[in-house]
Amino acid sequence: MSVLRMGYMHVRVTDMAEAKQHYGNTVGLYQTLEQDGKVYFKGWDEWDHHSVVLEEGGVGMVKCGFKVLDPGELDGIEARATRFGAVVERMSAGENAEVSDGIRVILPSTHVIEFYHSMTPVGLEVGTHNPDAFPRHLVGIGAPRLDHALIVAEDVGEIERFFKEVVDFYPTERLATSLDDDAHLIATWMTIGNTNHDIAILEGPNGKIHHFAFEMRGWDDILHAGDIFAMDDTPVDIGPTRHGITRGTTIYFFDPSGNRNETFAGGYQCFRDRPVVTWTPEAVGKGIFYHARELNERFMTVMT
Amino acid sequence: MPTVTVQPDGIEVPLEDGETILAGLFRNGYAYRIGCRRGGCAICKVDLLSGEVEYDHTVAENVLTAEERATGTCLSCRAVPVGDVTIALREEHLRRVSSLLAFYAMAAQGKGTPAASSAPNSG
Ligand code: FES
Ligand SMILES: [Fe+2]
Repeated sequence: MSVLRMGYMHVRVTDMAEAKQHYGNTVGLYQTLEQDGKVYFKGWDEWDHHSVVLEEGGVGMVKCGFKVLDPGELDGIEARATRFGAVVERMSAGENAEVSDGIRVILPSTHVIEFYHSMTPVGLEVGTHNPDAFPRHLVGIGAPRLDHALIVAEDVGEIERFFKEVVDFYPTERLATSLDDDAHLIATWMTIGNTNHDIAILEGPNGKIHHFAFEMRGWDDILHAGDIFAMDDTPVDIGPTRHGITRGTTIYFFDPSGNRNETFAGGYQCFRDRPVVTWTPEAVGKGIFYHARELNERFMTVMT
Repeated sequence: MPTVTVQPDGIEVPLEDGETILAGLFRNGYAYRIGCRRGGCAICKVDLLSGEVEYDHTVAENVLTAEERATGTCLSCRAVPVGDVTIALREEHLRRVSSLLAFYAMAAQGKGTPAASSAPNSG
């Protein structure tokens, strides 16, 4: 288990001033750097330099990064990704501000993902010595940390196989056309640890992102986030509600450029030997939005 | 104040000055297929049949290309009409989802008493 987590998500925004307002004052992330047209943020419960990178010009995902524990793991990832048939290149320290050297992979879906072994540590906002439960003066929804992303690919099975074979992720839940072994895979939720997902993949146009999510501490904080979105006129796609898939509580909302964000809380403890959950199309409404039990027209079509 | 006429049904809706097409239609109690409301997802594209629009925010080239702009595609969540416009929805009809909102929006425009068919709760 060499990969620790999704460490950063790097997206494009059409208007940096509005984006800074959203990720800083509404989402409540801490700005850690502004350099070369990019702005870097971290959540209060994160210790590495950043987890969100914004770049002005356009909309959608530039790339995301996964952190590995040990630099030695990178050789194995490079070899396996090459054998898989992905485009692989070495990246040097500093190509990404405050990020170590690593491996850059272009997936068959054209998404760029990077693996790195260290990032400049800046520390938890509550520290590590006799810490308090949370920072006293949180801003906006006070998102603690980046949790996962849902990316979009034409061939979901192929990208699932990449994450399994190259970096040892395992699926916790899947959406397929039937329970048959040869069923068509519509979406998959995959993890490297014990949470429900670090990455999820949904069928659709290559290179797109459906959303990236911040983990909240619980349902109360999800509701509070909804209140803040009302105050800030942040467009809410759905929620507060629950996903049948993962059981997580959620709000989907949009940043000022139209990138979809999520607040996510809950889910359940996952293990490699836990049986994988399968959803089939007749229950997809309940799977995505557990209370409404109806897929809105935006879920499968709105992405950046 | 500009008016937007929405095809294929020819529904005429009054907008406030500076209001986007999307905001004005929803304020008047109508709905159609939209997504992010922030110019990112491209789902709210419509055809601009006549009139002119301005964009109140930078619109990403990968959402609305220069060629699309030139050939009459309009990103309705960011487009602010300059004078009256006519748009056509793509493969859908404008849906009236709140006759109450439509009633009060009409009244606020000083159009007098709306026709009985558009009174609250009449459908
Ligand atoms: S609603 Fe997403 S671009 Fe207009
Ligand atoms: Fe999610």
